[in-house]
Amino acid sequence: MAAETKVQVSDPEAEFLNSKQETGYEWELFKENVRPLKRGRNVGILNHALKSHSDHQLRKNLIEKRRNLIEAIDEYEGDDPLSPWIECIKWVQEAFPPGGECSGLLVIYEQCVRKFWHSERYKDDLRYLKVWLEYAEHCADAEVIYKFLEVNEIGKTHAVYYIAYALHIEFKNKVKTANEIFNLGISRDAKPVEKLNDAYKKFMVRTMRRSNTADEEPKENNDLPSRSFGTLLSRGDNNARRQALGSSNPQAKKLKPNQSSKTPFAIYADAVSDTTSGNQPESDKSRPEFGSWLMLGGRAERNKENNSLPRKWASFKVPQKPIVRTVAAASASTFEVFVDEEECTEEEEEKKKNDETISSSSNVLPLNGGREIKKETELLRQNPLRHFPPNSFLR
Amino acid sequence: MASKTAAAKDIITLHGSAAIVSEFFCYAANSILYNRAVYPEESFVKVKKYGLPMLLIEDESVKSFMSNLTSQISEWLEAGKLQRVVLVIMSKATGEVLERWNFRIETDNEVVDKGVSREKSDKEIMREIQAIMRQVASSVTYLPCLDETCVFDVLAYTDTDVAVPFTWIESDPKLIANPQMVKLHGFDTKIHKVDTLVSYKNDEWDEEE
Repeated sequence: MAAETKVQVSDPEAEFLNSKQETGYEWELFKENVRPLKRGRNVGILNHALKSHSDHQLRKNLIEKRRNLIEAIDEYEGDDPLSPWIECIKWVQEAFPPGGECSGLLVIYEQCVRKFWHSERYKDDLRYLKVWLEYAEHCADAEVIYKFLEVNEIGKTHAVYYIAYALHIEFKNKVKTANEIFNLGISRDAKPVEKLNDAYKKFMVRTMRRSNTADEEPKENNDLPSRSFGTLLSRGDNNARRQALGSSNPQAKKLKPNQSSKTPFAIYADAVSDTTSGNQPESDKSRPEFGSWLMLGGRAERNKENNSLPRKWASFKVPQKPIVRTVAAASASTFEVFVDEEECTEEEEEKKKNDETISSSSNVLPLNGGREIKKETELLRQNPLRHFPPNSFLR
Repeated sequence: MASKTAAAKDIITLHGSAAIVSEFFCYAANSILYNRAVYPEESFVKVKKYGLPMLLIEDESVKSFMSNLTSQISEWLEAGKLQRVVLVIMSKATGEVLERWNFRIETDNEVVDKGVSREKSDKEIMREIQAIMRQVASSVTYLPCLDETCVFDVLAYTDTDVAVPFTWIESDPKLIANPQMVKLHGFDTKIHKVDTLVSYKNDEWDEEE
C-alpha cells in the first residue's frame, strides 16, 4: 500500500477526468462480438467500428478506408516497406472487432508474410515475426508455419517464436518435442532470455503436474484381448470365433471390483452344432445354412419384427386453450440484434471490378468482394502456405 | 407510518457514505483481480452483492490486506482527506505498470464541516454500483492480455496534512507513459462522488514483450 500526498503536477488521468471527455459505451453493449486483442484496443476506434453495425454509412466508410490503406501499401515509396502493412493490419484488427472472414485480415496477413519471406532485412524484425505468429494463430494447424519459419530462419533470435511454437506443440500433447523447442531457443540465446526461461519453467511445472496425475490414475490393463467387431468372418468359423470370445478370461479375474467398468462384456455364445462347427467338412462349409449370418432368409423372416397388428391408440384429447394475441406485445421495446458483416453488396462487387482493372499488376488483393474474401480466408485457414513456391520449404 | 420508514432509509450520513464507498472499493478491487486474472480463478469464492454474483478472494494474506485497506479508506473518507484511490497492476518480473484502475473521489465539504446529512435511496446507489461492476467485467473487450505473472498495489492520493500510517509508504504515482484511457460509469452517494477510469499500456508491435 502506498499513500501519495497531493502534488500540483497534473497527470494524464486527472486531465482526462477533468476534460469531461466521453469515450462512449458501445464496447459494453456489443462485448460478445469483440475478439480480444493481445495488445489491447483503442476504445475510440472500437466504438466507431461497433456503431457501424447499425449505421450503413459508417460501414461503407470503414470498407472505403480499408481500401485506401491497401492502396497505400502499393503506393508506398519509403525506406521501410513493412510499415504500411503493419499500419493496415493494426487498423483492420481494430476496425473489424469480430475478426472473421469479412475483415479480410487473414488474406492481409498472408500477403504480408509472402511479400517479405525471402527478404534478409526482415528475417530478424520482430514486427514481421509477429505478423507470422498472428497468422499462425488463425490457421487450422499452425505447425506448418512454425516449420517454415525454422527452415527459412525467420525470427530465430526472438524468444516469442520458440514460446509460441513450443506451446502449440505442447497443446498437441507432443511434450518431448515442445521441450526440444524450448531448449533450442535457450541454446540460441533468443531474446529476451528471462521471458524464455520463465516460459520454460512454467512448461516444466505443467509437465511435472501432468506426469503426477498420470501416475495417480490406475494403470489400465493392456493384456486384455483386443476385439474387432468389424472383422469379416470366414464361412463357418462364426461360432468358433464367438465361442472363443465368450470363454472365461483369466485376466478378468485379476481385476479389482472398482474396475468392473473396464472388464470385457460377455458375448453370447451359440451352442455348437454339427452344421456350424469348425470341423465341418469342406463341402458342407461352402453351402450357406439358413439361420447363419450368411443368409438373410425370406421376406417373412426378415420382417418378423413387424408382425404385430396395428391397434387403436388411446383416445385422449388434449384440451386446447384459445390463443389470445395482443397488439401491445409487438410494440414492446426491442433490443438491437447484432448483424454479421454482409457478404457482398452490389457496390462492393462494382468496386472490385474497378480495382481489378486498375491494378492487375498489384501485389495486393483488392479486399472488396465479400464472397471472394470468405472463400480465400477459408482456403488459407486450411492451407496457410498455399501461395508459397515449393522451394520455400527447402533449406 | 410506512412512508416515514421509507423516507428514513434514504438519509445518508458521512459515516454511512464512507462505509458504502470503502466497501465498494473492496468489491471492485476483488472483481478487478478476478477479471484480470491476477490471481487464479480457484482462489475466489462467489458471493451475492449489489444484486450481482461477485467474487471475493479467499487467500488469507490478500483478505487481510483488503480489510486493512477498507478500514483505512473509510477513515480518510470520513475526514474528507481522500482524493483518489488507484489499484495498480504491475509485471512481477520487471515492475512495469501495465494497468491503473483510478477511482476519483469528490467529497461534499459541507457534510464534513457541519455534519449535515443527505438524501439518496439505497436502490439508486446500488444500481449505479451495479453498472460499474458490469463494466469491470466487460472491460476484457479492450484491455490487453496479461500473459505474465502480475502483482497489484494500491495508491491513495490524500491531502498533504494527513499522517501516513505505518503500514503505508510514500510512493511515486506509478504512471503509464502514453496510456490508453477509458472512463467508466461513476456513482454518487450525494456526499461522495466516485468517478472511475482505467488506463492501460497499449503495446506496439516492435516492442519485445
